[in-house]
Amino acid sequence: MAQAGKGRLNYRCPSCFMRDLDIDMFYDKEKKEYYCIRCPFTGTEEEVVKLNEMAKFRYKNISDRITDFD
Amino acid sequence: MDKFILNILHRPEMVPEYAQNAAGKGDGGASESGIYKESLDIFKLQQQIAHENGFKTTIQMTYSSLFNDEAVSIAKEHHEKYGDEISLTLLGLPCKEFREKYKTHDFCIWMFSMDDKKAVVDDVFGKFHERFGFYPLSTGSYYMDADLIGYIKRQYPMVKCAVATCWEEGPKAYHTCNNSWYTFLDGGPWNPWIPSKQNTHAPAADENEDSGIVAVPHISRDLLACFDGNGSNFGTHPQNVLRGMIYKDGRFPYLYNLIDQYRSLKKYNRGYAYNMMFVGPGWMNKKGRWEAPYELLVKSYRDCMAYYAGLRDRGELQDMTMSEFADFYRSCHTYKQPECALWKDILYGSQKQLFWYADPYMRTCVDMNQGGAIVDLRPYAAKVRRPVGIGTGNVYDASYPFLIQSMYRAGYFTHYAGKGTIKSCKFTYKGEEADLCLCRTKAGFSEEEGCRILTLDPVEIELSGLKVKIQSVFTFKEGSSEIKITRRVLEMSDPSCEIGFDEYMTACYGTTEYPEDMNGIKLITRGEKTEEIVYAYRDREACSANGTSAEAVITPVNTKVSVLPGTRGCSSYAHEGYAFSPMFTLGLRGTLKNGGEVTSWLRLEKAD
Repeated sequence: MAQAGKGRLNYRCPSCFMRDLDIDMFYDKEKKEYYCIRCPFTGTEEEVVKLNEMAKFRYKNISDRITDFD
Repeated sequence: MDKFILNILHRPEMVPEYAQNAAGKGDGGASESGIYKESLDIFKLQQQIAHENGFKTTIQMTYSSLFNDEAVSIAKEHHEKYGDEISLTLLGLPCKEFREKYKTHDFCIWMFSMDDKKAVVDDVFGKFHERFGFYPLSTGSYYMDADLIGYIKRQYPMVKCAVATCWEEGPKAYHTCNNSWYTFLDGGPWNPWIPSKQNTHAPAADENEDSGIVAVPHISRDLLACFDGNGSNFGTHPQNVLRGMIYKDGRFPYLYNLIDQYRSLKKYNRGYAYNMMFVGPGWMNKKGRWEAPYELLVKSYRDCMAYYAGLRDRGELQDMTMSEFADFYRSCHTYKQPECALWKDILYGSQKQLFWYADPYMRTCVDMNQGGAIVDLRPYAAKVRRPVGIGTGNVYDASYPFLIQSMYRAGYFTHYAGKGTIKSCKFTYKGEEADLCLCRTKAGFSEEEGCRILTLDPVEIELSGLKVKIQSVFTFKEGSSEIKITRRVLEMSDPSCEIGFDEYMTACYGTTEYPEDMNGIKLITRGEKTEEIVYAYRDREACSANGTSAEAVITPVNTKVSVLPGTRGCSSYAHEGYAFSPMFTLGLRGTLKNGGEVTSWLRLEKAD
């Protein structure tokens, strides 16, 4: 198995991100997948992008412009 | 006053922490000269964006940049042309010259031994003088410990301002970086302050305690999101907002909401509000940062600066350099003047509201989502001396100790064995008990006769069929080192009833999630008789009828904390913890009738 490297962008593990951990993922060219070096997460770029969007679920005001701070 | 002040800082870091590491991974790495060029280009771009928007900046020269003729020349030119302040940071130490001289990869100034701190400071300040012909008026790092500030002031008395802490960057930042980022800096003020000589985080109470500088925080952080989340996701640092993935379709209104909420803090601070923006070059490198591409990183910087410029053009913002700000701050602040922030959630849609208060005697946080429970308490009155760095016995932990920290030490307790740190009030009737922690509410702020007053909207509890409406009021009297807490029974469904109250505070001490040695803490109750327990994890309780106080003397943090009743007739108690619950509880118990109220004080003092 070839040594892993970085992918096109330096994706973090979406599973770890959701538990407030910023961990770089590595890319396995043979399997065409990213994997986390800490937790068991593996996924394609498409899956990672989708999960990153999902991770924003807690930011209910992500698109809101707030003007009232009382 | 009606002022919103902005400090913009840039640093030509030359070998940014992130770029150097990123370059070494995966794609063959980059040469040091290549990184130098890219880093300087990023600095130039940041300067260009600021100047295009009509702002002057504070250029914090790094050690490595002092060896670079182009960086020095740019700083001189921009000082002449745009009025930028040429300053000096103790960040950005790593470079070939530094490694050859100091034979270490350490780069955080507060972690060096005192001898090395002095050597580095003299080296860096000397080099700065050699290149510019004068000494800087401002400096900084992620953290500046009291001994370091003291040394700089003695040797370079012209320094008047410093970046001196990152708000709530402690165990949370450590965890977020997979337990590898050693910025244990929790417990300081979120907005500028005058540090005391004894401990940077604790503001000076008078001229004798004044360290001689005005401290500013490293960026302005979300006072709710950072209390429970990664501090590096929620600040006036556009790329931090991207790090937190708080954007959609290339738009990040949260950043503007954050800036605007900081602007709104004027109403709690006599018309004064503040923002600080300080982005290291590593955050705009061409490889992108994590999943954010370079283009988005730069766009976020441009957009943020343009937003600030729009505010300025409407007369709603004034930019200052760091030394200008120090003069301004001292001209309009007294030592004992507190910093207040009634902060609302602007990200999660929860309507949650926190009240933050900091003065020379305490930093505290009241959580309206828990009925006005105190969820954070730092005893600044103790001015805890905590030297930090190699050779001090405390290499890395620069956090100011807490007595209450509900995130690290449980808070309102939700399982069956033990207690968590919190200050709240419980009510009882016919064997049923209700804690105000479970009553979500909101609060309003007012200022009267030297007091900052937080008045909570009434909440309703139900005990064995009896409905009771209760209101809490917190009063912070300037310079008193006390919080006055009033609980009023506004209504009862049966006005003839009498309910029990327990105004309690469960506390411990520490700077992290892990318990400290509680042995030897003295718990004392005073009243008809005085009782004392010396903490030994034996789950004992002391109680005094007609109580006049319940006290704890916590020697490791040089703090005495007391709970004092406003009237006689209640009992004071102190409860020791046990091995599985290493806390202590101080409280007052009594009864209340319809229309009645109980007032108590929480007082913080130096133990010695």
